[in-house]
Amino acid sequence: MILTSSNTLENKQIIEYKGLVTGESLIGANIYKDLFSGVRDVVGGRTSRYEEEIQKARDLSLNSMIEKAESLGANAIIGLKISYDNLGGTMGNTILVTAYGTAIKYE
Amino acid sequence: MNKMNLKPKNLDLKHIRKVFICVAAGTGAGLVVYGIFLYYNIAIYGWNLGLIFAPLIAGYVETLLANRIIGENIGAISAFILFIDTTFYSFILKNPSLGFNIITAGSTIIILQAAFPTLINYILLVVVGGILASFIKSLKRGAARIKKAILNQRIIMWDGKIPEEPVEIIPYFDENKSNATLNNLDFYFLTSSDMRDKKHDIIGINQSEVIIDKDAKLIKIEPEKIEQHHLVEIKNGKDECLIKLANQIKSQGGNGVLDLTISYGLIGMGGDNIQITAMGMGIYLY
Repeated sequence: MILTSSNTLENKQIIEYKGLVTGESLIGANIYKDLFSGVRDVVGGRTSRYEEEIQKARDLSLNSMIEKAESLGANAIIGLKISYDNLGGTMGNTILVTAYGTAIKYE
Repeated sequence: MNKMNLKPKNLDLKHIRKVFICVAAGTGAGLVVYGIFLYYNIAIYGWNLGLIFAPLIAGYVETLLANRIIGENIGAISAFILFIDTTFYSFILKNPSLGFNIITAGSTIIILQAAFPTLINYILLVVVGGILASFIKSLKRGAARIKKAILNQRIIMWDGKIPEEPVEIIPYFDENKSNATLNNLDFYFLTSSDMRDKKHDIIGINQSEVIIDKDAKLIKIEPEKIEQHHLVEIKNGKDECLIKLANQIKSQGGNGVLDLTISYGLIGMGGDNIQITAMGMGIYLY
């Protein structure tokens, strides 16, 4: 499955537009995760625990989207968009990760 | 058969005289003290401290003498007499307009304590102590109920009624059904800017919104399921928003959308609602 944010696939011909595919996931509030991130912020450097969680959520969204594209018989997704939105939550940091694009079939 | 002697042991004239001497001495001492306080006007906010100290001194002198002369405590009779005297003098004769305030109340308690030590001590320690202990116990019970209610995510009913049990809702979203629904609308959702090799007419920019009430539907859900429930609500909201957009463009004669973007954001007081927006260029594909 090819994923691209561009409108076309270079050197490949789109033979069919299969439709819209989406994937969503949420990173919930976690007091321990927040605590350690806070410690890292004070010490300096990257909050690797958060990065891992966001990567996991993004992978989840992308995989969900790819599964849908496969179920439609597509072999690529073009015009891919990924967004991260803070939705508040009890700790104020519930993050919604969304991925969506256009499923296509190319040859 | 021996007759029981019901006559009190010390109830004789000599004993009564001794008691009288002790009470008189106490009363005299109290009156002298009260006189001194009145003469020098030892007072706080118009309240003469003699009203407190006179009965105390009277009781003290009487008790001291009784212990020495009779060899036992006869109770603070003189303090009671002083209490009557000083109260009558202060409240009725001298200053009938003296109002009730915290000093008056405190002084009255002290005077009463000097006059009726056992009764007042009982009231202070047992009755007042009991009321305080009961009040603290009620506060603790209330705090425990609040804690339990918070832990159970339940609303507190102050009339004692137990609220209904939290309803367990298992969040579920059928991804395949959602995907099939969106792609069987006879409508092209395209996130790209154009469709290669296909002609189209532009209809115009179109946008649709859906607002999800984030909290109102979640009040009875277990805390760990709130996020999952949010996600399901968001997915349903997104589908609804896209269908709205499609219907909007269809009503203008279109059959597709280019450059589709879907965005999510919080709105409302304290971010109580989630707004889902779908936007794109409506087109008609030949």
